[in-house]
Amino acid sequence: MSTPILSVEDLRVTYGRVEAVRGVSFTAEQGSLVTLVGANGAGKSSVINAVSGLLRPAGGRITFEGRDITRTPAHKLVGRGLVQVPEGRQILATLTIEENLRMGAWHTGAGAQRSIDAVYDRFPVLAERRALPAGSLSGGEQQMLAIARALVAAPTVMLMDEPSMGLAPKIVDEVFRVIAEIRASGTTVVLVEQNARRALRAADHGYVLQSGEIVHSGPAAGLLADERIVQAYLGVETTPGQH
Amino acid sequence: MQQLLNGIFIGSIYALFAIGFTLVFGILDRLNLAHPAVFATSAFVGIELVERGGLSLWAALPVVFVFGAVLGLVIERLAFRPLKNRPDAHFAGLISSIALAGMLIALLQWRYGPDTRRFPAGAFPETRYEVAGAQVTLAQLVILAVSLTLMVGLTYMVTRTRLGRGMRAVAENPTAARVLGVDVDRITAVTFAISSALGAVAGVLFAINVNTAQLGMGYAIELKGLAVIIVGGMGSLPGALIGGLVLGLAEVFAVQYIGSSWRDVIAFGLLFLILLVRPQGLLGARKVREV
Repeated sequence: MSTPILSVEDLRVTYGRVEAVRGVSFTAEQGSLVTLVGANGAGKSSVINAVSGLLRPAGGRITFEGRDITRTPAHKLVGRGLVQVPEGRQILATLTIEENLRMGAWHTGAGAQRSIDAVYDRFPVLAERRALPAGSLSGGEQQMLAIARALVAAPTVMLMDEPSMGLAPKIVDEVFRVIAEIRASGTTVVLVEQNARRALRAADHGYVLQSGEIVHSGPAAGLLADERIVQAYLGVETTPGQH
Repeated sequence: MQQLLNGIFIGSIYALFAIGFTLVFGILDRLNLAHPAVFATSAFVGIELVERGGLSLWAALPVVFVFGAVLGLVIERLAFRPLKNRPDAHFAGLISSIALAGMLIALLQWRYGPDTRRFPAGAFPETRYEVAGAQVTLAQLVILAVSLTLMVGLTYMVTRTRLGRGMRAVAENPTAARVLGVDVDRITAVTFAISSALGAVAGVLFAINVNTAQLGMGYAIELKGLAVIIVGGMGSLPGALIGGLVLGLAEVFAVQYIGSSWRDVIAFGLLFLILLVRPQGLLGARKVREV
């Protein structure tokens, strides 16, 4: 097995005296799609935010492309290709769609316009409305903008936090189709989802989080096939978009 | 006509001062009450540059701009950054910036004494123009040109450049900005530097306009600057421009037609009146933190 592009060892995240993440370890191979699933409050977002440098871990070690990034702040990681699509989309509503994409290219410099044109080709709805404030987009379109904005940053690893949250089933299908495309283009994807079945169906490898610890891991298909895991952690089949 | 021009000259200085004030508020949601002290300090420094440094009035302006920018970085580092993670960071920054302002004024008093200071004789060009029957000095025209240029330049920077986009991203959503790889601390520092540079130039222009620098000049303009940014719409750059001009004109016409002791009554009364009609401020209809 080759060295994983992203590896997290014994990660711990605390908020005051509350331990949200208690010794989580996982790896992502180059070009794979890895998913962390679990209920609300299991610590998924804390893991993602610690990896992307938004949160300072209380302990553990994170390596990206062989280098220790445990305490590297977010603004230094984006330029190196570790890019996050944050929970709740976090689009800049008062900036135009074009300006949002330019913000995605904050670190890429000269090649920015080419990559912006490329995402316009991929998301024609964004191209049509490029001069409008991003706040005028629908929820699904805003999620596409958040993904497009991350793509402009030329990621080698894309961290996605609940990209299907609050979206209609049809839009969720589209989001997962885009995720599959991104992965097919060679970008490694780390996907965090409450919509566990959906995420596991898309993923190569899955980790089940509960109360800040990984309770199961393995090939995604294996996790989905294990009745006990499905019963205990993934719950009944939920309608996408409902939470 | 003469009064109209005088009002525009003083109003453009108010606007330049207020635009620096509102820039930090609009982008960082912080009120920097050391801004008036930057204004006063820079007036004294400007006079010293001309008097001892032998610079011309106009050569002093870019030097003061840089001086103001450095002062802004110091203010951010000392009065705001150490407190930024406190839950009451807004209020704490307000208080610590007042304290820093007090220290700056005390340093001025130590260096220059309590007396009013003026530019050395001969520092002002004698050139005068007649505009529609009114007398205008070259210095006044330069004041107007410098203020307008800086304000237009700032607006262009905020709306059209990468740095300006970064500032607006931080203004709207600091977390989103961080996710996109923006170094929010750096944007914060740069915003303070630009704001203070504008306040510093406003201070020298004010000193040029009345050929006076006094320790209390910061206090005098502080309230006006706050009134202007409230009337203009908190955080709105064009609002601060219009508000500054309105205040300048109101003052000059109040003195001319009613009497100098009524100046503040009329000027601030007018601002109250505007707020009664438009509580959100002249250009505050959109989101408060939008620039």
